[in-house]
Amino acid sequence: MSTTLEIKDLYVEVDSKEILKGLSLKIEHGEMAAIMGPNGSGKSTLASVLAGKEGYNIVNGTIKYLGNDLLKMSTEERASSGVFLAFQYPVEIPGVATSTFVRTALNAQRRNRGEDELDAMEFLKLARQKAKELEMSEDFFQRAVNVGFSGGEKKRAEVFQMSMLSPTLAILDETDSGLDIDALKIVAEGVNKLRDNKLSGIVITHYQRLLDYLKPDTIHILADGKIIKTGDKSLALLLEEKGYQGITGAN
Amino acid sequence: MKNLQHKYYESYKDNKLLFPGLDITWLKELREEAIAQFKKDGFPDKSVEEWNNHSYKNLKEKYFTPFSDNKFEINSKLIEKRGSNCVIRVVFYNGTLTNIEYDNLPEGIEVNTLTHFIKHKPSFLKDKISSAYKYAEERLSNIVDSRPQSIVAFNTAFHQEGAVIHIKKNVKVPGFIELLHIGEYSKDTMQHMRSLVYLEEGSECEVLENIINDTANDLVFTSNVTDIYVSKGASLSFNCFIKGGTNNIHINNIHGAVHEDSKFTSTSIMSALGQVRSENRINLLGENASTKIDMLLLGSKDSLLEGLTKVKHSKKNTFSDQKARIILNENSKASFQGKVRVDKGSDGTLANMSSKSLLLSKKARVNSKPELEILADDVRCSHGVTIGNLSLEQMFYLRSRGIPEVEARKLLVSSFGNIIIDDLNKNFIDKAKKIMTDYFND
Ligand SMILES: Nc1ncnc2c1ncn2[C@@H]1O[C@H](COP(=O)(O)OP(=O)(O)OP(=O)(O)O)[C@@H](O)[C@H]1O
Ligand SMILES: [Mg+2]
Repeated sequence: MSTTLEIKDLYVEVDSKEILKGLSLKIEHGEMAAIMGPNGSGKSTLASVLAGKEGYNIVNGTIKYLGNDLLKMSTEERASSGVFLAFQYPVEIPGVATSTFVRTALNAQRRNRGEDELDAMEFLKLARQKAKELEMSEDFFQRAVNVGFSGGEKKRAEVFQMSMLSPTLAILDETDSGLDIDALKIVAEGVNKLRDNKLSGIVITHYQRLLDYLKPDTIHILADGKIIKTGDKSLALLLEEKGYQGITGAN
Repeated sequence: MKNLQHKYYESYKDNKLLFPGLDITWLKELREEAIAQFKKDGFPDKSVEEWNNHSYKNLKEKYFTPFSDNKFEINSKLIEKRGSNCVIRVVFYNGTLTNIEYDNLPEGIEVNTLTHFIKHKPSFLKDKISSAYKYAEERLSNIVDSRPQSIVAFNTAFHQEGAVIHIKKNVKVPGFIELLHIGEYSKDTMQHMRSLVYLEEGSECEVLENIINDTANDLVFTSNVTDIYVSKGASLSFNCFIKGGTNNIHINNIHGAVHEDSKFTSTSIMSALGQVRSENRINLLGENASTKIDMLLLGSKDSLLEGLTKVKHSKKNTFSDQKARIILNENSKASFQGKVRVDKGSDGTLANMSSKSLLLSKKARVNSKPELEILADDVRCSHGVTIGNLSLEQMFYLRSRGIPEVEARKLLVSSFGNIIIDDLNKNFIDKAKKIMTDYFND
């Protein structure tokens, strides 16, 4: 098994505030890793750093993605080479139809990889298929990106984008929050479908339910800017029972 | 300044041959009243509230000669082919008619030049080409101030040509009418156009006033003033697309009288490099009259773009909606003044106004000012003004999906403008999108 992602001793500051403090994490090819941790512990910060958001000062550490130095790649290069972040708070973009947005993204990635672009018909066919799998109505193709979407609809739209772009490394930042029970199941199935194509994933969540569906290979606990504990699914159960206090105390 | 006013006064007297209609008593009186008003008021300076955002230094310091060097053989590359849905197009080159193009014109549509009407149907124009005094502004203090209209006075005195559109009762114009103004004027000249759009009861019409002044680096001063009448139950869509060169000062001025159950909509798109100002003054004169005024200002380099709208609700149950979107790059500057006045007794009025600006550079400047003057009781008004930069969150979101930075910027900027463009009648959308694309590529 080869390694998809390897983070070593990562220190990250935002506005001179230290958020990640010596975080190390390794994700193998095809591995699904869950990250759990208290509010404000730095989970979304890690996700943003991986996706290449500006405004983060990388004080120390390295990130290797498929053997390359991820920190040297631009945000859009990362995306084209398969990094996908499902946002905890998806951004609204008035005036841009969802289908225009996803098609622009998909074709930009394909161009970047030296592949042919999809024409309008090919794109629509693919989009219809993916929407159907996620049991989403096609109405949202023409709606502006995330504008007026309910919380759950936004999360579903993120998963729709993910399946359209079929990434190598998906980072799902609390994609389960806001989803109703049925939607959660559908979304989890959508993610599992991608796993058949050897998707590696980082699933950030506060809840056991999503993990029941996704059955992650590893569970990491992030607290105070670093991974303080790693285990299998029993760790999540222990967490459910004892809470973060209990676990960090036991450490 | 006084000196300059005097110079224009002399110029008016010296160039009378250029101004049609002086053999018609009422038109002669109109021009003379106008030049007298201008001689008194001069060009508006910053003490005039509607003009206090930016000074038009060149207007106040330079003297422009009335343009007179009319050529009759024209092959300007700026004249594109007539659009497929355009029923009739009037093409002016440097203010002179070069062509009226149509295939078969349906009954009840009369489109020609102002000089044609002056010569053959002057009585139709009487009382429709208005004096600037008629449009003088009534201030809060009840004082009537003619100074905001001094450009209209100037235009009334100096106009050499224009277009007249007359749509007869219940006639619905298929497609649209285009008034194309191409200007490649010589240095330090000026040209003023006076147009009239008159819709009889129950008629419908779409107009595109397409103004392209390509004056390179030569300083020129142009204006288009249009008097608009929308009779009972009629509907007019009057759209202005304005492009201008670096040293072109262009002032566009619309006065609309909108009667009972009628509708006036207008979209102005300005993408000039010089100084362009577009004023839309709409009076809702009958019950259930409505108007929608949209503006898209695209500034770049050192341009100055100004939009002014003033809607007066004079009767019950009238409706207005004003929307401005301003995108500025480099050193460009812009202002938007959106005014709503609801007269006493005009209950049931609904008035919305929104102005949003997107600044793409550190040096771009915008000034946006809504103004409501409400003298009736039962009125619903809303207004909103925002000024911002490209959102970093949105940029990151797009880029995180693989869209390159330049493309992401374009997508966000055009989506901002699309709020105006998508609302256009379908005949004009492609042209408007092209203006947007040109704006990116310049
Ligand atoms: N721009 C910023 N300036 C200052 N502090 C910031 C900034 N962005 C994030 N932080 C802080 O960094 C810390 C980590 O935030 P982050 O969003 O990564 O937490 P999280 O683990 O995702 O929390 P949650 O579970 O609530 O989503 C928080 O204390 C947050 O307030
Ligand atoms: Mg978070």
